[in-house]
Amino acid sequence: MRLIDGLLRRGHLSERALVDALLSGERPAHLDRCDICADRAVDLGRWLDDLKTAGIEAADAAFSTERLAMQQTQILRRLEQLDQPARVIAFPTQARLGQRDPNDRRVAPAWLGVAAAAGLVLGLVGGQVTARIGSRPVVVPAPATVQALLDDGQPSSTVRLAQPDLDLDLEGLNIPALDAVDGITPKFTTVALTRVGR
Amino acid sequence: MSGDQPPPVSAKEADARAAVDVKALHAAGRLEAARERYAELVTRHQRRAVRIAFHYLRDAADADEAVQDAFVKAYLHIGTFREELPFEVWFTRILINGCLDRLKARRRREKWLAPATTDAMGVERSPADFLPSRGPSPEDQVLSEERRRQLGAALSQLPERQRLVFMLSHFEGRSSREVSAMTGLNESTVRVHLFRAIRRLRALLASGAAGESGSRRISRAAH
Repeated sequence: MRLIDGLLRRGHLSERALVDALLSGERPAHLDRCDICADRAVDLGRWLDDLKTAGIEAADAAFSTERLAMQQTQILRRLEQLDQPARVIAFPTQARLGQRDPNDRRVAPAWLGVAAAAGLVLGLVGGQVTARIGSRPVVVPAPATVQALLDDGQPSSTVRLAQPDLDLDLEGLNIPALDAVDGITPKFTTVALTRVGR
Repeated sequence: MSGDQPPPVSAKEADARAAVDVKALHAAGRLEAARERYAELVTRHQRRAVRIAFHYLRDAADADEAVQDAFVKAYLHIGTFREELPFEVWFTRILINGCLDRLKARRRREKWLAPATTDAMGVERSPADFLPSRGPSPEDQVLSEERRRQLGAALSQLPERQRLVFMLSHFEGRSSREVSAMTGLNESTVRVHLFRAIRRLRALLASGAAGESGSRRISRAAH
């Protein structure tokens, strides 16, 4: 018996000593001599037994035999899945990268930048040159406004034409069969000059 | 010849043999045979594992998942199993660590989520409580249900370690040394936790019983 039990509990066992005795199964000699402590030990033992029964019942009520069987099936199914070799499906881009020959020459990113800059400069210069050539001064007389009145009496229409183009057209066309028609048709140049003369 | 019969094998020895067999079969690539042998271990330890997880987590669905995960994890790491240590202790340690992780995750989750389902009386209950059960008479069922409810409420008020130690020591009947190996706690710490758990449970259940009998008296007087 511990000294503290002798002093504070008039020689009776502490609750801790009783618990230790019950759980370890080592019965202290004091219990044989003291009826009070023996009764306390019996009460505590019963209470612990009840507690154990209630605890086990609670767990078993939550997990019926069917539920345990289902759980076991699920465990074994998961194990089966784990044992199956994993199928790795390669991502298409990755697969293409994987097939690349390591000896393949690759263009360094720096060169790509240089090429892009050179292209830009060439484009600008070429554009400038083309613009200069295209905008060479061409002597074009002021567009003549001709109000041609047609024979069928339709309302007049204003036609803007460039004289050189018209001359070119007139010189280029020389069809003998249309000479008669051509003869009675007033020449555009004549009409224009007459108007300008007014 | 009857003299040639092998001596009866204890549960621990049987477990160790099964675990070693699973390890060897798995290493040899005979996976189906390994799984079949492992199923024996699952059958032997499932009920015990479920009780531990249920009392530790106080939730049937969580306990179900924790037990499944523990068995799967033990199978995956069967290569690290050492024969000197009983399979039961090794496996229980895996289970307890898994339960501990779940408790931590639950605590984090509970900061954000609403509480679990409540019954018609507004009392919080686990989904397992709503499952139909078979067995004794309705009166017995009510009484045992009441007793379980009281115990559950008292157990849930214990600190986690006290609850775990009490459960392993008392419900599972493990010695302080075994509990120490399972939990990683010192043997003397195990004994302290156990004693404190019992003292607190007694106080909680006594006050609960006193409170209930008091309220019954009050309600009778009112009638």
